[in-house]
Amino acid sequence: MATKQKTDVLQGTLALMVLKTLDVLGTLHGYGIARRIEQISGDLLSVNQGTLYPVLLKLEQEGAIESEWGASENNRRARFYKLTKEGRKQLQAETQDWEQTAAIIGRFFEAKAEDLS
Amino acid sequence: MKSLRRFFARLTSFMARRAQDERLREEIEEHIALQTAENIRAGLSPVEARRQAMLKFGGVEAIKQDYRARRGLPFVENVVQDVRFALRSLRRTPGLTTFVIITLALGIGMTSATFSMVDALIFRPYPVPHPSAIVTLVSTTHDSPFDDFSYREYLDIRDKTNSYDGVIANADMEAVGFSSEPGATPRIKGGMMVSGNYFHVLGVEPRLGRGFREDEDQVPGRNPVVILGPDFWRHEFASNPSVLGKTILLNGAKFTVVGVAPDSFPGMLTFGHPDFYMPLAMAPVFSTNIQKNFFEDRDDRELTVQGRLKPGISLEQARNEVAVLAKNFEDEYPNVNRGRGAVVFTQFQARTTEDDNWKFGVIFLILALAVLLVACTNVAGLLLSRSRARAREIAVRLALGAGRLRLIRLLLTESMILATLGGLAGIAIGYGVVEWFHSKDSIVFATELPMAIPFQMDKRVLLACVGLSVLSAVLFGLAPALQSTRVDLVNALKSADVDVPGRKRLWGRNMLVIAQVSMSLMLLTASFLMARGFQHDLMQNTGFTKDHLLMTKFDPRLIQYNATQTQQFYKLLAERMRETPGVQSVALTQNIPLGNDDFDGVAFVPDGSQMAPDRSNFNSVMDTVDEGYFATMGIPILRGRTFLPTDTADSPRVVIVNEHFARHYWPSGDALGKHIRLDNSAGTPVEIVGVSQTIKYQNTQSPMDFVYMPLAQHPVARMVLMLRSTGDPLQLVQPVKDVVRSLDTNLPMLQTRPYEDFYVNQAVKGPRIAIDLVGTMGLVGLLLAVAGLYGLVAYNVSRRTREIGIRIALGAASSDVLRLVLGKGLVLVGVGTVIGLVLGFGLEQLMNSMLFDSGGVDVLAYAVVVPVMFLVTMLAAYVPARRATHIAPTQALRYE
Repeated sequence: MATKQKTDVLQGTLALMVLKTLDVLGTLHGYGIARRIEQISGDLLSVNQGTLYPVLLKLEQEGAIESEWGASENNRRARFYKLTKEGRKQLQAETQDWEQTAAIIGRFFEAKAEDLS
Repeated sequence: MKSLRRFFARLTSFMARRAQDERLREEIEEHIALQTAENIRAGLSPVEARRQAMLKFGGVEAIKQDYRARRGLPFVENVVQDVRFALRSLRRTPGLTTFVIITLALGIGMTSATFSMVDALIFRPYPVPHPSAIVTLVSTTHDSPFDDFSYREYLDIRDKTNSYDGVIANADMEAVGFSSEPGATPRIKGGMMVSGNYFHVLGVEPRLGRGFREDEDQVPGRNPVVILGPDFWRHEFASNPSVLGKTILLNGAKFTVVGVAPDSFPGMLTFGHPDFYMPLAMAPVFSTNIQKNFFEDRDDRELTVQGRLKPGISLEQARNEVAVLAKNFEDEYPNVNRGRGAVVFTQFQARTTEDDNWKFGVIFLILALAVLLVACTNVAGLLLSRSRARAREIAVRLALGAGRLRLIRLLLTESMILATLGGLAGIAIGYGVVEWFHSKDSIVFATELPMAIPFQMDKRVLLACVGLSVLSAVLFGLAPALQSTRVDLVNALKSADVDVPGRKRLWGRNMLVIAQVSMSLMLLTASFLMARGFQHDLMQNTGFTKDHLLMTKFDPRLIQYNATQTQQFYKLLAERMRETPGVQSVALTQNIPLGNDDFDGVAFVPDGSQMAPDRSNFNSVMDTVDEGYFATMGIPILRGRTFLPTDTADSPRVVIVNEHFARHYWPSGDALGKHIRLDNSAGTPVEIVGVSQTIKYQNTQSPMDFVYMPLAQHPVARMVLMLRSTGDPLQLVQPVKDVVRSLDTNLPMLQTRPYEDFYVNQAVKGPRIAIDLVGTMGLVGLLLAVAGLYGLVAYNVSRRTREIGIRIALGAASSDVLRLVLGKGLVLVGVGTVIGLVLGFGLEQLMNSMLFDSGGVDVLAYAVVVPVMFLVTMLAAYVPARRATHIAPTQALRYE
């Protein structure tokens, strides 16, 4: 149960990272997204890169991203993903949520004993 | 919204799952290729670069699985997968699969055919809207729990009760002479008189024309209208709608067709579909009791009364109401209603009280279910044995991380497929059996009206089949599935000898053997008992001569003879026949022994006997015969005399009673010369002038009271002519025809045939079919049990091959091995036999109470069945046990 929750959280954040990455960099293929997340998170997220694909599928099914075939740097067929209008909206909403949550949590961590009395 | 969208996305991708799989594969490949290129740029060797890339990517298969789970409809996909897998593995063992399917088909087929019987006899609802609201009102007496009402009583019930949305009445379906135009020779069809509100209350809308109007059923003889049954309309009038308003002749009287009943309404009867319906008010044209006045006499009870319960009225309320009404009848008409009550029956109660046909159905169903159970245990045993062979496969699956539930589901899918195939084949068998019931020469009931065999494979029966298949799949599939997924992985993977005998596991297997032995013992006992019961019935001396008799039936009312003309006709007929060459003697009787028609009843009081206050009379069945009857039928008169030509309408009334009757009412003295009074203690005195031997009057009935009245004093319209021939009775057919034609060319002769033929059809064929059916079930049960036992013992031997090999190597003699293997089989068969005996004994009690009132225990049945059963099952165990003694230790130890 515990592990499942953890992956759920991970996948939730992973989805958010995917959306943000696509928002910033536009159209990318799966490897590109994985690289980017790796770079930014500084290998903090040592997840298997493969777990990215089920997340991509989920986002596509929800309509947040769309995909099409294109040519990769190797000049081979690769699937390119990009954010949809819906996805942008979702990203905005989730960014807000996240910031709010982070702010609240942050305040809790900063709080001292006298603040709570 | 989001989840809905996801669902549709899943649905479409389920459809395109192949393309999707391909897409993922390609993406992964490209991902790894890109990562590899990156790693090479970072200075790794190509091989190492690829290895690192793959490590980084993670478990490809796990990702694929996760991807798939997200993508399509995993449940459906799994089921499809399971089915495909199951089919494949079943195909791999065609012999076993075929055997299992045949076994199941036998069980399900037998059960479905007998269920169709029980359904028709008990459960199938009336073919009307809201059938459960239709209840049957029944008159009850000390002697009969199911009696009819008279016309007057019906009117009172209809008018004085408040529980019903209408109360209807109908007479029995009767033979009616039908001709479509004047001058045509009448043909016999089945007509039924019904009350004017019949169709309206039942909620049956005629497909053409209209139902009866209430005013058409008010004045006797005023409204000759008729409504046709759907089949009759189709066959007789080629579905011609212009039949409305047409005049047809029924028993020679003109009737106007006013309606045609819809196809959905073949009638309310279990056996037989009325060809047409007439209002009760037209009774004078039809066969009511000519001794009584149908419209006036409160004891002329010929009507079945049914009502449609008002919504919200309970059966209890209706019962109380009609009980009060019956009490009022008793007070108001003590002469004809004393001791007579009334009850309200639901359809189920009515059908299970009216007659005993349903009991055969129920017993057959019990037996068929036993066959099904044996079949299921058999299949369970087989699957169990097979699961051993698959133990390693399953252990591997479990080790690779397959969920236990998933595996159980897989195995159950296999069972389900087997059950489905077995069920389909079973339905085919069921169809076969039902068809056989319908086929003309299996059951020829010698009725003048065609009898509708109500057994059919309708959707109710098919539904039951589906239910049975699923049930049996769970029955035979669950235990093996549970067990084979509960393996000790380490052991299972190490060797093939997975089957470390846990106590629990052996217990289950032993239960199977015991269940099989006991069930088939019960089946065999039942079939033996039934066969013996019928045989006993058949062997019983009927008490009269059956050969050299020609019978033919007349009903002069069909051509509108009045009572005088009718009696004149019979007198002349008997006289002329007596003069015919080849005729030894001539008799007329209202009913033949062992016939289809019910005997009339007679209510009487033995002269001088004191009746209990709540009883106004006794009842007996009776027959009306002429003076030639006893001689022609060869029924001995024990004391006194037979009827004589001097017993006329004007002479003192006389009766002949049977020995049973005489003993019953005059246990100490002689009945001869005593008097009985008809109807009640103030009735006409009648002298007993003879005591006849007790013969067999009805099928499967123990000896009963019987009264004969002379035709001259008790005129009856419908009589059977019995001719004793010197030669072949069929040679008399033409002479009879000639004589009848010389008397009246229009008079139809019904059921002309040698009595012996009739008897064989009637009394022998039906029981024989029952014996065949039950015998087949018993045999199938035994065969299945033998196969099952053999399989299980053989399986045990093969499981213990190594052990036995070691034992032999250590010096065990073959007799020791035999004892070892056989000993356990013996115990199991013994336990099974004891349980089977208990079950068989229970069933015998049930059968005794239901069918053959023989009482006591049929020792012979057990004396034959138990040893046979024991021998056969022991043989089934012995063969593989014997093989065990030939196990070569060297081979057995190398076995793996």
